[in-house]
Amino acid sequence: MIAILIATALVFAISGTFAALLLVAERYLVNYGRCEIDINASQRTLSVKGGESLLSSLMAEGVFVPSACGGRGTCAYCKVKVAAGAGPLAPTEAPLLSEDEIRDNVRISCQVKVRNDVRIEIPPELFAIKRFVGTVEALRDLTHDIKELRIALVDPPEIDFVPGQYIQLEVPSYGGGRGEVYRAYSMSNPPSEARHVETIIRLVPEGICTTWVFQHLRVGDAVALTGPYGEFRLSDSPREMVWIAGGSGMAPFWSILRHMIENDIRRKCTYFFGAVAKRDLFLIDELGRLAEELDWFTFVPALSSPAAEDNWDGEQGLITEVVARHLSDGAEMEGYLCGSPGMIDAAIDVLHKKSITDNRIFYDKFA
Amino acid sequence: MKEMPAEDALRRKMQPGAISGGGFLGSDARSLQEILDTDAAAIAALGLTHLQVAERLGEIVRAAMAAQGAPAEVAAGLQAVYCEARGRVPCPWSDGMFEKGQVEITDTRTGETLLCTPLSVHMIAAHGFYQGRGSHYRIEPGRLPRMLALPGE
Repeated sequence: MIAILIATALVFAISGTFAALLLVAERYLVNYGRCEIDINASQRTLSVKGGESLLSSLMAEGVFVPSACGGRGTCAYCKVKVAAGAGPLAPTEAPLLSEDEIRDNVRISCQVKVRNDVRIEIPPELFAIKRFVGTVEALRDLTHDIKELRIALVDPPEIDFVPGQYIQLEVPSYGGGRGEVYRAYSMSNPPSEARHVETIIRLVPEGICTTWVFQHLRVGDAVALTGPYGEFRLSDSPREMVWIAGGSGMAPFWSILRHMIENDIRRKCTYFFGAVAKRDLFLIDELGRLAEELDWFTFVPALSSPAAEDNWDGEQGLITEVVARHLSDGAEMEGYLCGSPGMIDAAIDVLHKKSITDNRIFYDKFA
Repeated sequence: MKEMPAEDALRRKMQPGAISGGGFLGSDARSLQEILDTDAAAIAALGLTHLQVAERLGEIVRAAMAAQGAPAEVAAGLQAVYCEARGRVPCPWSDGMFEKGQVEITDTRTGETLLCTPLSVHMIAAHGFYQGRGSHYRIEPGRLPRMLALPGE
């Protein structure tokens, strides 16, 4: 029995040693030379040093495929269709891909090594993504667990985006952590403020990024981000709108609303903002003032569980219940939602019951 | 006993900063297998299974999520509150992605609380993993009958 255990351990040790030697050899001895990455049938062609991951090769050439985990093969955000040249599926990729995706040659780009010429397909809007370096200009508390982060852009000095889009904030290693990660946040400033990026960030217990923002980030610190990403935006129609969000879900609507005001877009809209108690509300004075000034904008804050000391005489209940009470016929309306999948699914149910069809419901689901 | 390479790789993913800020092992110096075996024995001693625990925890998590941040009464004297967060988090076993956000379960009679996440529920169901001692989301098996209103106390 002991002999079997020793033999097994020996086999593992020898295999492990050979695997390590192979990795070292590949990293330092093997030279794949220059490889070509053909993107979208030669819409763009990159010449890169072979041997690096597809994700990092693309990033090095200014093509920013979304990633949350910084290339560690855990987030599955960096999916890319690879028509040729990627080699067999890595064991680390298979669990992150559906059977349909595997059949369609979708790959986890941080797990694909560029060893020869590769042909890939990516959404063309990714070509507009840039990496920005900036400085923290302001970091202010909005509530007990929500901060507003305002970044002054340095290089490049301006960002061009559509209100509703998001950026990916680059989180450096800190406190003994293991390398960069990226986290998505909707921009809350209007596009006219092109020299800044503003976001609304809620503290996530044990969160890598929010712990960094809440405990380590200071005014004056350098930060990096990529963007703009995302399809969430106002439609071109003149239809009346209902907006539903809570907490940091306010961010895209704060951007959209200020953009509408600056550009005299007088589309009638009602913004339902849900929170648990009064301490979770923010920007209430600003939004209340705008609702008084603008005849096309109505603001309805609602608390689902106000504390006794809140002395709340506004709307009460889940935000979806409040919407159901207020909305009568939504047949000619559009719905815009931002928040957790659970809230969005519940809100979509309500909007359906008010005759707002799926093609007129737009959302940014947190997951 | 020295950890085998596969467990080594799993432990690395469970370290602080790899997937979550605090990681999944806390200050626990035991091997992963020891953590799993000890908790499995504790669950069995309570007359429970991992699946039973995960099902009940999953019910509570879903009820809390449906309440959109307001307290949800999930049993007599038991309340659950969901705190949402943007994004998904992968399981260290690389077998799924799960919504971020946490659920705080409170025994309103004693004030005792228990924290969990959608990922916690999955790791219990699929791997019998209750996280290492000292981890933010560690669930001590002995607390379960009381905090989840499960038989076994």
